[in-house]
Amino acid sequence: MSSVKEQKNTGRTWWRSLDEVVASPVFRKKVQEEFPDGASELLATGNDRRHFLKIMGASMALAGLGVGGCRRWPKENIVPYAHRPEGTMPGIAEHYATCFDFGGIAQGVLVTSNDGRPTKIEGNPSHPDSAGATDSFTQAAILDLYDPDRSRGVTYDNKLSSLAAFKEWIASYLPNDGSGVAVLSEQSSSPTYSRMRRAFMKSMPNAVWVEYDPVANRNERRGLAFAFGGQWKTVHDISKATTIVSLDADILGAGPMQVPNTRGWAAHRNGIHGKMNRLWIAEPSLSLTGSNADERIAMTPMRVSAIATAIGAAIIGNASATLTATEQAWADRMIADLKHAGSHGLLVAGASQPASVHHLVARINEVIGAAGHSVSYTTLDSDYKTSISELAELIKAKDVESVIVIGGNPAYDAPAELGFEELLKTLPLSVHLSLYEDETSKACKWHVNRAHWLESWCDGRSADGTVCIGQPLIRPLFDGLTPSELLATLSGLATTDGQSLVRETFGGGEDVWDPAWRTAVHDGVVKNTASIETPPVNRRIAPLTILEDHGMVVAFKPSGSIWDGRFCNNGWLQEIPDTITKLTWDNAAILSPATASELGVKQGDVLTIEVAKEKVSIAALPVPGTADGVVVLPLGYGRRFAGRVCTGAGTDVYPLRRNNSWSATAKTVRATGETYPLATTQMHFDIDSTPGKGTQERLPLLFREGTLDEYNKHPHFAQHVGHTMHSLSIFEEQQFEGAQYKWGMSFDLSSCTGCNACVTACHAENNIAIVGKDQVLMGREMQWLRIDRYFAFESDGHGGWDGDKLSAVAIQPMTCSHCENAPCEEVCPVAATVHDTDGLNTMVYNRCIGTRYCSNNCPFKVRRFNYFDYFRRDPLRSTGMLQVQPDYYVKAQSGGKTLRAMQFNPDVTVRMRGVMEKCTYCTQRIQRVKIATKNTWVKLSDAEKAKDPRVSLQDGAIVTACEQVCPAGAIVFGDLMDKESRISKLHESDRAYEMLEELNIKSRTKYLARLTNPVNGSTGAGGSHH
Amino acid sequence: MTTLQSNQFCNTNEDPRNRPQLIRNHTDFGSVTDDILKGNDAARPPKSWWFALAISFSMMSMLGVLIGYLIVTGVGVWGNNNPVMWGYPIVNFVFWVGIGHAGTLISAILFLFRQKWRTAINRFAEAMTIFAVICAGTFPGIHVGRVWLAYWLFPIPNQMDMWPQFRSPLLWDVFAVGTYFTVSLLFWYLGMIPDLATMRDRATTKVKQIAYGVFAVGWRGSMRHWHRYERAYLLLAALATPLVLSVHSVVSFDFAVAQLPGWHTTIFPPYFVAGAIFSGFAMVMTLAIPARELWGLKNFITMRHLENMCKIILFTGSLVGFAYSMEFFIAWYSGELYESFTFINRAFGPYGWAYWIMVSCNVVTPQIFWFKKARNSIVIMFTASLFVNVGMWFERFVIVVTSLANDFLPSSWGIFEPTWVDVMTFFGSFGLFMTFFLLFIRYLPVLAIAELKAVMPAADPHGHGHSYNEMTPETDAQAALAEEDE
Repeated sequence: MSSVKEQKNTGRTWWRSLDEVVASPVFRKKVQEEFPDGASELLATGNDRRHFLKIMGASMALAGLGVGGCRRWPKENIVPYAHRPEGTMPGIAEHYATCFDFGGIAQGVLVTSNDGRPTKIEGNPSHPDSAGATDSFTQAAILDLYDPDRSRGVTYDNKLSSLAAFKEWIASYLPNDGSGVAVLSEQSSSPTYSRMRRAFMKSMPNAVWVEYDPVANRNERRGLAFAFGGQWKTVHDISKATTIVSLDADILGAGPMQVPNTRGWAAHRNGIHGKMNRLWIAEPSLSLTGSNADERIAMTPMRVSAIATAIGAAIIGNASATLTATEQAWADRMIADLKHAGSHGLLVAGASQPASVHHLVARINEVIGAAGHSVSYTTLDSDYKTSISELAELIKAKDVESVIVIGGNPAYDAPAELGFEELLKTLPLSVHLSLYEDETSKACKWHVNRAHWLESWCDGRSADGTVCIGQPLIRPLFDGLTPSELLATLSGLATTDGQSLVRETFGGGEDVWDPAWRTAVHDGVVKNTASIETPPVNRRIAPLTILEDHGMVVAFKPSGSIWDGRFCNNGWLQEIPDTITKLTWDNAAILSPATASELGVKQGDVLTIEVAKEKVSIAALPVPGTADGVVVLPLGYGRRFAGRVCTGAGTDVYPLRRNNSWSATAKTVRATGETYPLATTQMHFDIDSTPGKGTQERLPLLFREGTLDEYNKHPHFAQHVGHTMHSLSIFEEQQFEGAQYKWGMSFDLSSCTGCNACVTACHAENNIAIVGKDQVLMGREMQWLRIDRYFAFESDGHGGWDGDKLSAVAIQPMTCSHCENAPCEEVCPVAATVHDTDGLNTMVYNRCIGTRYCSNNCPFKVRRFNYFDYFRRDPLRSTGMLQVQPDYYVKAQSGGKTLRAMQFNPDVTVRMRGVMEKCTYCTQRIQRVKIATKNTWVKLSDAEKAKDPRVSLQDGAIVTACEQVCPAGAIVFGDLMDKESRISKLHESDRAYEMLEELNIKSRTKYLARLTNPVNGSTGAGGSHH
Repeated sequence: MTTLQSNQFCNTNEDPRNRPQLIRNHTDFGSVTDDILKGNDAARPPKSWWFALAISFSMMSMLGVLIGYLIVTGVGVWGNNNPVMWGYPIVNFVFWVGIGHAGTLISAILFLFRQKWRTAINRFAEAMTIFAVICAGTFPGIHVGRVWLAYWLFPIPNQMDMWPQFRSPLLWDVFAVGTYFTVSLLFWYLGMIPDLATMRDRATTKVKQIAYGVFAVGWRGSMRHWHRYERAYLLLAALATPLVLSVHSVVSFDFAVAQLPGWHTTIFPPYFVAGAIFSGFAMVMTLAIPARELWGLKNFITMRHLENMCKIILFTGSLVGFAYSMEFFIAWYSGELYESFTFINRAFGPYGWAYWIMVSCNVVTPQIFWFKKARNSIVIMFTASLFVNVGMWFERFVIVVTSLANDFLPSSWGIFEPTWVDVMTFFGSFGLFMTFFLLFIRYLPVLAIAELKAVMPAADPHGHGHSYNEMTPETDAQAALAEEDE
């Protein structure tokens, strides 16, 4: 479908009728290639136009023919778009609620659909966790939908087969009672899926059910099983805590709970009424939580457990492990604070902590009164009786001969010692349901392509158990089954279509117009279905043995960019730099600068790490704030699946990970002498080098922060950091005559955690290209919005800084400030960047010839230049001599009518090579609201018009893409002319400061200085990091 | 007439009685013409010319291919990045414009100041100017992202009713370089008319006759022609003089008007002009030394000429050195955080190597010309001129790249690495330059024949051969001295 145009004749092809298109041999060939599954059916119909439209109607919409492709009304059959459905307007986007199950927790989303194409994902405001915000992964999921590497059919032995053949085969070969059958499933919160699981187990009583997720918090589940009995999960409401102690729990970092946690934490970070919460963390390497913590200490996971025992000793009188003097001092201050907070305290333990620590933490939370306040629990509807290790034993013993893998990718991420990939290959019957033909698919006999969640009916439970219902936004691009559909098929149920399955879970009924059902589908959330409780904790906590760390400790963590590897083929996620390391396209062994110099390595030097019998070679990346003697390895990279994005990205460290543990002791860690290019978007400068010192010198000016005490004493501290002498501009400033609005933005550095959701949202909203590792290495990344990260160090006592003593991590979103005296505008020779009267520094792509002078004169360097047509250049990992692939010269500038192009926001131009681009304050969103408001205004009476001559907009009506996703609410956009607007008040507030004010550029974006809340408010600039 | 001792002749002595003649071994006008046009008259140019042309032409062709590759692929083939949005192309532009400076200086300013020695070098210095400006003009044209729209830089009436943006220094550049090129070309051509007529008259083939005839625009050498010619030449010289100062001042505005630390300094205009003259003279020297060997022009471009150029190089080099130190002083004196960092970073940061190459080539190397021995050694002055060329290229590299690489926000700091296309395009521009230059020495009068004759003793209408030594044939002692110098 996508390339109907690729006929031989030159120039534009105009079709007189659809019949003409359908009849052409080129088209038929394309159909065969694109939809091998349905093609025979389609082609058999010959030139019967009506029949053709019935089948292809949905897909035709994708090619821009304007056929409504979205299956959103309850009727099953799809009708030709002869009559426009009521309420739809071509070109006006519509929004549908659905949900995205990630790590066993459903994220409520609202998806924007443009003429049948889903193009953007937003948070669902009615969803309890989301409240309108999303994380980076959810934002990026839209790109996965259009991933050209997605599997497009059913394969058997890696050869194309069909779903019918699969069903037939499975019916005859799958044992009726399920003996010798195992299902290996990923985590899911879906009630329908649970129902299907039970149905399957009922139809095959002898089957084995195994759930596996490489990064699931197994320790917590086991700990809570000790504490309460049964399957439990903790639900935190961080907004209710004033003292939060994290034991290696990256609560603000990537993961299914990032959005609600960030919102809860950010709720009390702005120092209003002189109060703030306080975040303590003990962790091995700098996480997002650690960089935002008020008090932080770096230590190995084992020492973190020791800290846990110390808290236990102080609060419930358990035995404490011996702490070092530094640890003891830190723990004493923390425990005092925790005790002081009483029921407003909160203790959180991370996945790296053993089960007994989780049990202990549950008990401490109960004792201090946090349980029922900021901590509660919810039961899990899953079957965890059999573990993947036991499954491996069963396979080895030939007790299991058929394995059905639903989702997940165990051949890649199962514990190393199992050799799971080899085991799968030995099986006579194995099935893998997956979006991609990945490592597990290759090892299995059958691969069944999975429908993307945006293409399927789905449901799920949010963290507190609230039920979400999801509807498809588009007919499956490549058909495919949902996990529930597969299970229904395997169980031999009568109904196997996704919609009916989900509907039946919620009571079924024949009436498709049932208002309750329709409301639930519309809202995406079933109200009042939360199920949280606080059962009493079993007081007999297993004693914890704290072992000495011997040698180098290897700690694993899910990658903040691609999680456990599941998002590896997503170009946005690969290219968006990790907030702490600023690394793109790869993972690296993170170690402390001291450990790195001990090993004699610097950034990019390859290390060989040996754990048990396995060896992995991976590039080193020293990061301040990492505990000495620890090597942190992010999981998820080094995929062997041949995706065009993930091929060659990073190193697979799963081989070192045994028994799903989060840390291991390395037998050896040594430098190989080789080097590997790491594409970081910020350069590393040694603290003793000129640029390193220069950075430290100017940091207090650029990133202003103070402790809560300082703020309470001097509320205006941020405005008195630098001396600014305002000078007159040599040019007359008249561009704002007749302005109706005065756009402005603010970034609250106090609540921004650097979660990257805004960066991903900007990618999705503004059709920003990814450029590939080679281009990032050259410094040509295209993100309009970036997160700047600086490490502040403590003074070394004689005018310099001590690179081993991290005092704070500064995280600062940076994008075009829309300066009123914009330096970029006065140097452009062709007037391609000019101001509008409302204060937007606009970029006229058509007029730009690409002298790049504007970027040179931009003090923030937020302008991005299209060095190539990045949409026709596939991302490369290293640049060859010619820098582009041969097909670069024949493709269309926008990438052509490819799947990728379907994601484009139709309201935003796709930029060609040779033009500059940058943040527009989401001008398309501003226009949308302005037009709507003005349309209402013109209908008013003259008297009413006279009252509001400038057509003022409702504050908050315009929401930029970054503002919309921000879970912390750190980004605010609005009209400064409206003195009552949030933005006006923020710009007037104590903490507001203008960056590089001394240049007299008059930024429209202001920053709100960061406040920190260390125990002793006068120590250091940003809490005491050690 | 007293007998002169050979040691009394001194190239640095400006007492006219004690210096060698501007033209040696010639007493009559005819032999001057013959000697200068020897290369042009020869039926075949020497093998070395062919050899040089073959190399230059292939380099020029490579430039063409690279430009084609650039246009179809995108400016990403260069190493430019964010923050270093301007890399080699702009460095090369400023480098070539700077080289193109000496021509006008020699032809206009030295003419107005009646520096007679300029006549031996002005023609090819002007030619060098034209070719260098062509090379320079290539770069801004191809460095823009959408080359096919580069004409939008010119104020051409259009359906959009859109003017260029007059506040932009890049636009001023277009005007400044455009004016400079036009005036230099006119000046060069005007000065060449009498010589073109000479070549027309000596032409042995019909083609040459017609070609030179057309360009000689009917020059017959009448008194009236000479009178008009000299007026026009003087006027053009007066017009061109401000351009010497304006072009590079305007080029420096590209940087000085921006607010980037390291660019935003008021010293830039004079500093750029001094640097341009410096590099221009170095390039004249680099070309003159081989050219006088190849084309047998030692009698016209004498050691005295070369020595004078050495002195100018010493002077302008020291000016440039002074400017370097003033930049540092002001950076410190201003107390401006970003400004002081930029300069410390230039010298001791990641690009320190480039800075020290610049200083050693531009400030240290010319100091050797304090010594007369150095001023009289072909080897030393040729080497030094090459060093200065290298150093001046690095000066532009340091200014453009280091300022951009580390500006205000450390988060956006980067490092620039040229790609093979950058390097080869730069070499290709030398091919373009040399091809033009080789064609010039073969087909056009390489020295200003008519003007040269005017500085010969025989041209002195008052001397009658008796006033001072310029009127007499060169003495043996003088000749010996001149030989020694070689």
